[in-house]
Amino acid sequence: MRYDLIIIGMGLSGLMAAKTAAGEGKKVLIVGKGMGALCLLSNTIDVLGQFPKIIRMRDNLFQWIKDHPQHPYSKVGLEKIEEALNSFLSLFPPPYSFQTVDHMNCLIPTGAGTLRPTYFIPITMVEGTSLNEGKALIVGLKGFKDFYAHYVADQLKCRGVNVSLSDLLHGEITTTYLGRLMEKNSFIKNIGREIKKQLNGENLIGFPALLGVHDPIQVKNNLEEIIGAKVFEIPTLPPSIPGMRIFNRFKEWLIQKGVTFLLGYPVSKVTLKGKKCEGIEVSHPPVTTSYSADRYILASGRFMGGGLEGTAEKIFEPIFHLPIPQPQSRGGWFEKKFFTVSPHRIHRVGILTNNAFQPIDERGGLILENVWVAGSILAHHHFIDEKSREGIEITTGYWATKKAME
Amino acid sequence: MNKKTWPKSNADACIRCTTCMAVCPVSRVTPKFPGPKQAGPAAARFRRPGEPSADDWIDLCIGCHLCDMVCSSGVNVSELNLIAKAKYLDEKGRPFRDWLLTHSYLWGQLGSFFSPLINLLFKNPVIKWMGEVILKIDRRRELPGYEFLTFRQWFNRKPTKGNPKIAYFYGCYTNTNEVDVGKATVQVLEANGFEVTLPPQRCCGIAMLGNGDFKGAKKMARYNIPSLLNTIHSGSKIVFSSTSCGHMIKHQYSHLLSIPSAEEVAQHLFDVFEFLRNLKESNSLNTHFKELSLKAAYFTPCHLRALGMGIPALEILRLIPGLQIDQIEADCCGMGGTFGFKKEKYEISEEIGKDLKEAIDRLNPEMILTDCEGCRIQIRHLTGLKVLHPIQILRDALQNDG
Repeated sequence: MRYDLIIIGMGLSGLMAAKTAAGEGKKVLIVGKGMGALCLLSNTIDVLGQFPKIIRMRDNLFQWIKDHPQHPYSKVGLEKIEEALNSFLSLFPPPYSFQTVDHMNCLIPTGAGTLRPTYFIPITMVEGTSLNEGKALIVGLKGFKDFYAHYVADQLKCRGVNVSLSDLLHGEITTTYLGRLMEKNSFIKNIGREIKKQLNGENLIGFPALLGVHDPIQVKNNLEEIIGAKVFEIPTLPPSIPGMRIFNRFKEWLIQKGVTFLLGYPVSKVTLKGKKCEGIEVSHPPVTTSYSADRYILASGRFMGGGLEGTAEKIFEPIFHLPIPQPQSRGGWFEKKFFTVSPHRIHRVGILTNNAFQPIDERGGLILENVWVAGSILAHHHFIDEKSREGIEITTGYWATKKAME
Repeated sequence: MNKKTWPKSNADACIRCTTCMAVCPVSRVTPKFPGPKQAGPAAARFRRPGEPSADDWIDLCIGCHLCDMVCSSGVNVSELNLIAKAKYLDEKGRPFRDWLLTHSYLWGQLGSFFSPLINLLFKNPVIKWMGEVILKIDRRRELPGYEFLTFRQWFNRKPTKGNPKIAYFYGCYTNTNEVDVGKATVQVLEANGFEVTLPPQRCCGIAMLGNGDFKGAKKMARYNIPSLLNTIHSGSKIVFSSTSCGHMIKHQYSHLLSIPSAEEVAQHLFDVFEFLRNLKESNSLNTHFKELSLKAAYFTPCHLRALGMGIPALEILRLIPGLQIDQIEADCCGMGGTFGFKKEKYEISEEIGKDLKEAIDRLNPEMILTDCEGCRIQIRHLTGLKVLHPIQILRDALQNDG
């Protein structure tokens, strides 16, 4: 099969690349060994979370780009960063939309009871950003082990309760089971009444992020009407229902646009001729299928999804075998202390690219002419420390694809 | 860990990330099943040969393969479940009901011959009540009726033309219960300049495998593989119209059942729409479609997704003028082959199906199209709508009015 563009990787950067190309009418194949990490994260959109919440993000980015000329954001540029983020936001029209608090970082409560800085948040989490001590009741559910209401509440200096319901007689319940129950009116009525009974002056309810997969705003409104107080979502331990909402929306939109969606099988081989990629092979034992395209996007992520792999001696990129500049030996991968002020060096390694996101070697020579690289696999960022994961994925997925299609 | 290493148990490759827990259709509707992470790799670490099985919920895995698809670490979760299920049932014993449901190929011919009578009996509430009490086949489930003239009988009465040959694995259900799917497949292939042949074939054995009966499934495979191999050696490719039969022969025969030569057969075996998509790629697809004024919705069967080839039916159907076709946003119909017929699982099957029905209601189509017979049974049951195989609509679009 022949395509205009083949994207390797089905995380946020790969999905964003597919959206960008399909939006311009290209024939696109997206291949994912697995589903990416969207279901594992809290699924707010971090851009540069390490900055205080009193400065507008645009000014943060302006300064950041000036100070970090090699950073992926600097290669995208301020104008295109905004264009890319808007392209992501356009996939989520109201009612379930993403928004900022005054175009600055905001702090949202997490499932660990900490406050985490982030930028775009789904509308179901907005009320959580104006949390005042003692004002909110944090609600957990008996039998649901991925959210500890009392623990969260203690950290936030609020009150926590565990609601016990006869609908949930079974010992252990999962996120998706609860998320589905929340879409049933009879269940919402029961749980709403239980929560209302527990209120003691609070006018805000912090609820684990499982207000339904399909129509969370309807669920939120129904629950608020019964309780008589505002409800906001707090991210839970994985799997993440807000993450499924993002993945499902991308998938729905991409298939509608005619994108071929190949989830579940790894790219086992690439065929290179000179500085060009001529095709990929996808392995599905005992069958191997060949696909080819004019251009390719590598958005395979870092260690967890297999975009980067490590042996005892070195770190490598397993698909194109692009060079990964890295410390001489394993001893240089980490700092002496695990919780250190400066980031571990291993987290900075990645693929070097030129300003158009094409892979280059350490002397700046172009390695492949028709391959572009996007997402967390890139070098010169440290998304954990910068709190910039989703921002890097969205903006580089968008801009690398735009460059590829020029 | 690379998925190339299947089917070796690679439970230790699981990093317990829970992505599979996000997509499992069974644990989404019932707390009785702990979900793929727990049932598959987590429990597999404790299973020792020779020790009794403790997995009394393992039978609830519906076999949709979604967990396998989403896993970035390449863990073969559903295969771990299937192996554990087989062990559990080996120890606990299998109900006669399961044997009946998985051996329907044995009386397909008989069913066809006596179809006027049998179809009446299948609808009789007393018979269905007895079926539930004695056999534990849920009486709320419609039993699929037989057709008097089988597909093979229809085919044998057809004149041959002498065009390039293509072989067809039609499967039991097409032969005796949904004959028009077979007719449509033949007619579409003929309209594209091929002459269809029917190699000797038996049930693919997927129902047996799904019920943990590896022995029975192997018996079927050992009949089918030499026959299909002969066909290939005579220079013909093979197509299938049932994505379940197709997935079974193409992947499970070699993966799980280690049937000799199954790998060779797999290289020449294609889903009928995959085959047509390849014709389209080489600009040799017959696209003289007439306009069909129809609003339909397409549902992707689990085994089609597990075949890993995108959604070729959707790509082809979108070429038909006038046909408005939406993709249904749901991931498993809940039928799971024989799963949905069983009394103790009917409610789980229906709950999973409810999510699909809601997705269909949002689209409000006139008709549903899907490649799998199990999905068609379930969607008819849930919605009362007309449900066809997409090849039937393609055939209609190719037929001249004259």
